[in-house]
Amino acid sequence: MVPIQIYLTIIFSLLFIGLYCIAFKRNMIRILFGIEIILNAANLSFIAFSARLSGKVDLLAQSVVVISIVIGGSVIAVGLSMVLNAYRQFKTLDVRELRRLRW
Amino acid sequence: MTMAFIPYTLIFLVAGAMIVLLSGILEERYRKTRAKEVLSIVFVAMALGGTVLLYRDVTSDPHSILLFLIGGEKPPLAGCFEIDLLSVFMVFSIVSLGLFAVIYSFSYMQHDTRLGEYYSLLLMMMAGMVGVALAGDFLTFFVFWELMCLSSYVLVAFRKERWGPIEAGFKYFVMSSLGSVLILFGMSLLYGLAGNVNFAYMSKYISWSSAGIWAYLAFIFLFIGFGVKAAIVPLHTWLPDAHPEAPSPISAMLSGIVIETGLYGLVRIFFVVFMPNAAFLPNGSDMFRYVFAGFSLLTMTLGNILALFQKDIKRLLAYSSIGQMGYMLVGVASGTSYGLLGMFLHVFNHSMMKGLAFLASGALVERAETRDLDEMKGLGRYMPLTTLALAISVLGLGGVPATSGFVSKFILFGSALAPGVNLWWLALAGVLNSALSIAYYLRIVQRLITKPIKDFSRVREAPASMLVPIVAMAILIIVFGIYPLPVLQFADSASKALIEGLQNYISKIIIL
Repeated sequence: MVPIQIYLTIIFSLLFIGLYCIAFKRNMIRILFGIEIILNAANLSFIAFSARLSGKVDLLAQSVVVISIVIGGSVIAVGLSMVLNAYRQFKTLDVRELRRLRW
Repeated sequence: MTMAFIPYTLIFLVAGAMIVLLSGILEERYRKTRAKEVLSIVFVAMALGGTVLLYRDVTSDPHSILLFLIGGEKPPLAGCFEIDLLSVFMVFSIVSLGLFAVIYSFSYMQHDTRLGEYYSLLLMMMAGMVGVALAGDFLTFFVFWELMCLSSYVLVAFRKERWGPIEAGFKYFVMSSLGSVLILFGMSLLYGLAGNVNFAYMSKYISWSSAGIWAYLAFIFLFIGFGVKAAIVPLHTWLPDAHPEAPSPISAMLSGIVIETGLYGLVRIFFVVFMPNAAFLPNGSDMFRYVFAGFSLLTMTLGNILALFQKDIKRLLAYSSIGQMGYMLVGVASGTSYGLLGMFLHVFNHSMMKGLAFLASGALVERAETRDLDEMKGLGRYMPLTTLALAISVLGLGGVPATSGFVSKFILFGSALAPGVNLWWLALAGVLNSALSIAYYLRIVQRLITKPIKDFSRVREAPASMLVPIVAMAILIIVFGIYPLPVLQFADSASKALIEGLQNYISKIIIL
């Protein structure tokens, strides 16, 4: 059985990759990637803990993850539609162009 | 009482959202009528009736807890709605503000297209907030949380042909969905500690002695996640952009109740999961209280100071929401049921006052065709009723006696001075901040009733369907300011359900 520390390392590196993506990337679609990466870190964390706790796999966490994948899909769909509208308006995907309101 | 069903309020809102969407599509194809508006008003009114039924059922239960099991499955292996008086109080605030916003939209939104989607999303957003308030485990909570968030992103960017809403909507989307995924992440850590996602199980099975750093980490992630939605400084930066750019009824909903739902989530999880176990830490509960007190001080001061410099009326009101959020955090920082009474009373009063402020200023902005306060000089002379209502709401926000804002602020700052709480500096800061906030609230009124610089003589009073909610809310603010007893008692039993009734809340699930 894979020890939990390895999972935790992966989970936290995914978290920091996602945060880096949101903080420093300029392309709007890459910012959406960042959100999705953190979502997957959370999902992986649920799965890793579900196998560890009682010896057998906990179905509750698996169902949480299935639902959260669906929700993540719809979040990204809304995000992409916003990016599309922004592209139609500004003709660019660079978030630095969205500076008319103060960030 | 236990029921294998879905709570009444939620059914009306979700079914209403779908029927309104369908009716919008049919109207676009065949004949243009006002059926979707009427239908959405009817469904929200029915949801308000459902809330009354919920209140009746909860109070008739001996432990004042109502359990709705989804599909009849029992927790911990299934989602459930666990409803105490606090949930009913939140649902009551949500649906009553929602009713006013829907009635107001009737003529405010009439020149927009895609109205079927608009009303459907508005009802969906209310359904999401109601679900968050009623949820008894994290799975249910997260589904409804995302329902609320997704609807609010789309509603902020609803007028997509202009650059402002798109930009504000994208910024709101990025920050708020980052908050949502951080909540999920924090919850996965709590799941790792407790082995379950039910709030009652988490409260019982997380022990701080063995959890160590992981419980702190989970708290930090959850605090950041909820803090983004609740606009706690320094996580507030989306709010002053998103709230002004949304259509006015949506601004009223966002400022009035959506950010408070974020605060409700934080308070519910903090007081059910963290606080009972923090007592075992050396100075644990004190540490949490000082964290909340610090953020409260920062939030109210920064919100009020930044509001002083705003020229845009809706942006000013948005910053004032941040300041009010700081006052509400005083109640959390005190950690007593008296402080939470003040907090939840302020949630209700603030939903009325800030909702009214946004609705009335929306009516003024529509007539003036600008959001700049200096260009609106003198407009109030031609729209006396709207201006009077706006004046009442801003005086209430400033905490002038005889408005409901005074009652809740009095309780909030009093709770910080209570023996054993010892946060006198917070109460002092709150009072000074209230005095500061009066400066910009009165500036709104002064600009509106001063001598006009532009010719507004053709401006008429707002149409009747906008005036009805505006006047009704203004009357409610005065009535609850002079005779606050009914809502005060309701908020009192709601806050007691969270602190003193916690054992009931836990044992209702665990005995099953």
